Amino acid sequence: MKKFLPAIGWVVLLGALAAVPAALGPYYTNLFVNFAIFAVFSVSLNLLLGFTGLFSFGHAIFFGAGGYGTALTLKHISGMSLLPALGAGVMAAVVLALILCPIVVRLSGTAFAMLHLAFAQVMYVLALKLRGITGGEDGIGNFPIPPFTIPGLVSFPMKDSPQNFYYFAIIILGVSLWLMWFFTKTPFGQVQLGIRENAKRVDYLGFKVPQSKAVIYVASAAFAGVAGSIYGLFHNLVSADGALGVLVSFAPIINIMLGGIGSFLGPVLGTAIFQIIEELVSRFTDKVELVMGLTFVLVIMYAPMGMLGVMRMLKQKWFPGPAAGNATQKTP
Amino acid sequence: MKQTARGVFILACILCHLFSSAYAQAPAKAAFDFKSIGDMSDFDPTNPIIPTGDTIKIAIVASFSGPAALVGQIYWASALWAAHDINKRGGILVDGKKKLVELIKADHMSKPDQAKKITERMVLQEKVHVLWGTDGSNLQKIINETANKYKVISINTASLSDDLQDATNFSRYAFQSSMSADQLGRGLAYYYGKIKKKEKKFYILCQDYSFGHVLAEGFKKGLKEYYPDAQIVGEDFHKLFLTDFAPYLEKIKASGAEVIFTGDWIPDAANLLKQARQMGIALPFAHIFLDEPNFLHEVGVEGTKGLVQISQYGSANPNFKTPEHIKYYKTWNELWKNKWKTPPFNSRLFEHGTGNIGSYIEQTYWLLNVIARAQSTDPERIIKVWEGDSYQFTTGKVISMRACDHKAIQDLTILEFVPPDLQKQSFNIPPYYWYTGAAATGPAFTIPATSVLPLMDPNLDRCKGKSAAG
Amino acid sequence: MDPITAMYVAQGIHGLAYGMVLFLIASGLNVIFGMMGVLNLAHASFFMLSAYLGFQFVSLTGNFWMALLLAPVATAICGVLMERFLLRKVHAFGHMGELILTLGVAQIVLAGVKSIWGSESLPLKMPPILEGQVAWAGLNYPVYRLFIIGLALVVMAIMALLLYKTRLGKIVRAAVSDAGMVNALGINIPLVFMAVFGIGIWMAGIAGVAIAPILTVFPGLADQVGMDAFIVVVTGGFGSLTGAFIVSIIFGLLSSYGVQFFSQFAPVLIVGFMAIILVIRPHGLFGAREG
Repeated sequence: MKKFLPAIGWVVLLGALAAVPAALGPYYTNLFVNFAIFAVFSVSLNLLLGFTGLFSFGHAIFFGAGGYGTALTLKHISGMSLLPALGAGVMAAVVLALILCPIVVRLSGTAFAMLHLAFAQVMYVLALKLRGITGGEDGIGNFPIPPFTIPGLVSFPMKDSPQNFYYFAIIILGVSLWLMWFFTKTPFGQVQLGIRENAKRVDYLGFKVPQSKAVIYVASAAFAGVAGSIYGLFHNLVSADGALGVLVSFAPIINIMLGGIGSFLGPVLGTAIFQIIEELVSRFTDKVELVMGLTFVLVIMYAPMGMLGVMRMLKQKWFPGPAAGNATQKTP
Repeated sequence: MKQTARGVFILACILCHLFSSAYAQAPAKAAFDFKSIGDMSDFDPTNPIIPTGDTIKIAIVASFSGPAALVGQIYWASALWAAHDINKRGGILVDGKKKLVELIKADHMSKPDQAKKITERMVLQEKVHVLWGTDGSNLQKIINETANKYKVISINTASLSDDLQDATNFSRYAFQSSMSADQLGRGLAYYYGKIKKKEKKFYILCQDYSFGHVLAEGFKKGLKEYYPDAQIVGEDFHKLFLTDFAPYLEKIKASGAEVIFTGDWIPDAANLLKQARQMGIALPFAHIFLDEPNFLHEVGVEGTKGLVQISQYGSANPNFKTPEHIKYYKTWNELWKNKWKTPPFNSRLFEHGTGNIGSYIEQTYWLLNVIARAQSTDPERIIKVWEGDSYQFTTGKVISMRACDHKAIQDLTILEFVPPDLQKQSFNIPPYYWYTGAAATGPAFTIPATSVLPLMDPNLDRCKGKSAAG
Repeated sequence: MDPITAMYVAQGIHGLAYGMVLFLIASGLNVIFGMMGVLNLAHASFFMLSAYLGFQFVSLTGNFWMALLLAPVATAICGVLMERFLLRKVHAFGHMGELILTLGVAQIVLAGVKSIWGSESLPLKMPPILEGQVAWAGLNYPVYRLFIIGLALVVMAIMALLLYKTRLGKIVRAAVSDAGMVNALGINIPLVFMAVFGIGIWMAGIAGVAIAPILTVFPGLADQVGMDAFIVVVTGGFGSLTGAFIVSIIFGLLSSYGVQFFSQFAPVLIVGFMAIILVIRPHGLFGAREG
C-alpha cells in the first residue's frame, strides 16, 4: 500500500489541478496562474540561493527578459505561434545570462547580490528610455496572443479563455518546476549544494566551481525567463514597472524567506502564503503597507526559517522522534 | 403687419442672444438637472452612505494604499458626491426597477498585476456594472482589457493617453470621457497663437513618459497650425519623480524662453515650480497640473501669478453664471467649511470642488445620466446611448462622445492665474477670490471644441471615413 | 563671465550640490553597512520621516533651525530603537533577513507617516535668510543650495573628527576590522553598533530636513531618493566613506552635465557608470574584498 501512496498522491494532485477552472471559476483560476508564475520565478531564484548560496538582488532581469522577449516577438513577427514565442522569451533570458556569466561567476556574497541590483537598475532605465522598442512606462500591451496549436491536430485559443490559458500555463510551469526538481537531484545538482556549504572544498575535490556556477546560473535564468514570458502572456502587457521594477526582484526573495530557504518547495509555499496574505489584506483594509510591513517584521523575527521551519518545529513538538530520554516515546 | 413682423424679429433677436450667450454650442441631448438635486447635507466623504443590495455597482479603480493614496481619495470623494446626489433623488430606473448607485473601492496599488486581479475580482465576484478609472495609462489598459473580456463598461476619467482608444487598444466597452494629451497640447498652442498673441519663445519641459511626449508633440503641432511665428527654444524630457530640476532650469534660463510648457503632475509639478522660483526664474508656466492649492500657497502669490492652465473643467467667465450653479457650488463649499473634518477632505484641495475634482464629478454625473437614459445596466444599451451622446455639465459646457472611437469632444478652457484682487472676474460671488494666498483663475478663455478635437487613429477601422468632429 | 560660461559653471555647482545631498543620505547608509554589515532598506524611509518631523517642528516652533537640530535627532532615536529591538535579533540570518526586516520597517514607516500627516503634500519653507540668490561674476546662484553644500561639508567634518579624533571613533574603526577582538577587549560592541546606527540615521535625517524646502514632503519621498542613495553606496563601495563621497560628486556632476548635454539620457549615464564600475571592481570603487 505504502508503495502506491506517492502515485496516488500524484494522481490526486494532477486531478485537483485539472479541476481548478471548473471548480473555482475564472477569478480564482487567474489567481492560481499568477501564483504559479511567481512560484516558478521564486524557485528559479532559489536554485541560485538555496543551492549555490548565491544571492541575487536583481533576478527581475531574467523575468523581464523573458517577458519582453515574448512580447516583442509576438508584436513584430506576424503569424508567430505560441510556443516559439515562449521559446524566444526563454532564449532572451538565457542569452542575457550567458553574457553576464563571465562577470558574475567568480563573485559571491554581497558583490554578486549588488551587481545584480545594478544590472536590474540598468535594464529598468533602458526599458524606460528605449520607448520606441519597449514602450517605456506603458510597456508593450495588447500584442496578439496566438492560439496554442499542434499543426494539423488541435488549436486552442488563448486570448479570451482563462480556462485554456490556465491549462497552458500550468503545464509549462509545472514542467519547469519538475525540470528544476530533477536538476537538483542529479549528481550535478548535488555538487551545487556542496558549493553552498563550502566552495573551496568542492574546488579541491576537483569540480570546476565557476563553470558549475555558470551552468546553474543560466538554468536559473532560463526558468525565470519562462515565468516572465508566461507573465507577459497572462497580462497581455509587459512594462518596466511590472517586469523589471525593484519590487519584482524582491518578490521572490520574500517568497523564499516566507517559505523557507534550502528546501525545493519552500518558495512555492512562500509564494502561496504571500499571495494569500495580499489577497486577504486588499479585501479588508486600505492599510496594505502597514499589514505587509508588520508581516515581514513578525515573520523574520519569529519565524525566520519560514513556514517550513515552523512546520518542522511543530512536527518536532507534536511528533517527537526517538530522542534519548523522551518520556512520550511509544513502546513498540 | 409690419409692426408684428418687427415685433417678431426683435423677439427672435432677443431669444437668439439669450441662447447664444449661454449655450453657444448645439444643445445637448441631456443636461445636469439642478432642480431636483438631492439633499447633500449629510454628505461626508469620510463616512459615505453607500447602499447595498440590488444596486448599480461601480468600482472606483485607483491607488488607495501606498504613496499615491491621495489620488484614490480624490477620485473616491468626487464619484461619491455624484452617486450620493443621484441616490438622494431616488436612484436610477433600470430594467424596470429603481436602483441606487453603489460605489466600491478597487485598489490597484499602482501595479499592473494587482490591477488585473482587482478588476477581475470586481467584475467576477462583486459583479460591478462599471469600472471607473484611473491615472496611469498602463493601468487603464488593464482595466479596459478586463472590461472588454467580461463585457462591462469602463469609463476612463483620468488617464490622458491618446493611445488608449487607438486601433491596438480600442474596446467597444471602454469610454474615454477625460481630456487627452494631444488636444491639450494643441489647445495651449491655440491660446498662445490666437488669444494671447504675445510670447513667442517656448521651452518644453515634460516628463519622459508617453503622456509627456504626446503632449509635447501636440503642442508643437498646434504651434505649426495656430502660431507659426512661435519658436521652440528648447525641449527636454525629465525622469519621473525627479529630485533636482536645477540642471534643466539652468538650460531654460540660458535659452531665452518666455514661457515654460509642461505637463508635469504632483510631485514633479510642485518641485518644478518651487525650484524655479527659488532659482529666481520668474517665467510663466503653461501647464495642466500646477493647480494643487497646497503647493501654490507655499510658493505664494508672486510666484504663482502668470501661470496658464488648460483644463476640461470650467468655462469662460464669469465662473458662476446661473443662480442654480451658485447654489450648487455653495452646497459643496459649505459642507467643506463646516462638515468635513478629516484629512485630506478638510484641506484646501477640496475647498472649491472645481478643477480636476470638478471634472471627475461631472464625468460621473454623465455616466449616471447615460445609464438613466439607457434605462438599463445592460452594456449594449449603455453603449447605444453613449455613442454620439452629448451632455451639459453644471458649468454649462457641453461634452459629447465621439461614436467611432469613444473619445470626448469638448471645449477646453484656459485659466490665467492672477493675484486675489483680480480674481473677481472669475469668482463673481462674495468673497470674490479663489485664494488669498496664491494666484488663481482670473481671465478664462474658451478653446472651441472644433480646434481641439481629440486625436483619432486613422488605423482604427471603425473611424475610417468618419469625421473627427463626431 | 558670459551667460554660456555662467551656465556651465552653474551646472557644475548644481552637480556639487546634488552630489552633496546624495552623499548625506548615502553616507549614513554606507556607515551602517560598512561598519555593521547591515543592509538597511529603510534608510530612505528615515530620510522621509525626518522631513515630516522637520515639518512638524517648524509648525510647532516656527523656526527652521530648531527643526534642523531636533528632527534628525528624533529620527535617529527611532532608528536606534529599530536597531535595538528588531535588527539585532535578525543579524544571524544574514542579508536576506535584514532585507526583509528593513523592507517591513520601511512599509511601516510609510503607513505611520500617512496616518499621522495624511497623504497630501506638506510645505516646509526655508528660513528667509537663506532665500534668494547670490550674485558673483555674472552668475546668479541660489543661496539655499550653497547652504546645502556647506551643511554637507560640516557634517562630513564632524564625521571625520568623530572617527579619527575620538575614542569612540577608534573603537568603531577597530570594530569594523575585527568586532570579535574588540568585544574580547571588554568593549560593549552592541552599544557601539547602536551608536553607529544612530549616527547613520542621523545623517539621513539631516539630509531629510535640509532637502525638504526644495522638494515636496509627501509619502513618496522615500521612493524618490532611495534608489539613488543605494546606487551611490554600491558603486562607491560598502564601508568606504571616501568612495561614497567621490561617487556622490561624480553622480551629481553626471546628473547636471548629463542633462546639459544628453537631455533625457542622463539617467542612463548614471546607471551605466555604476554598471561599468561594478564590472571592473565588483566591490565598488573603494570597497574592500570580503574574506
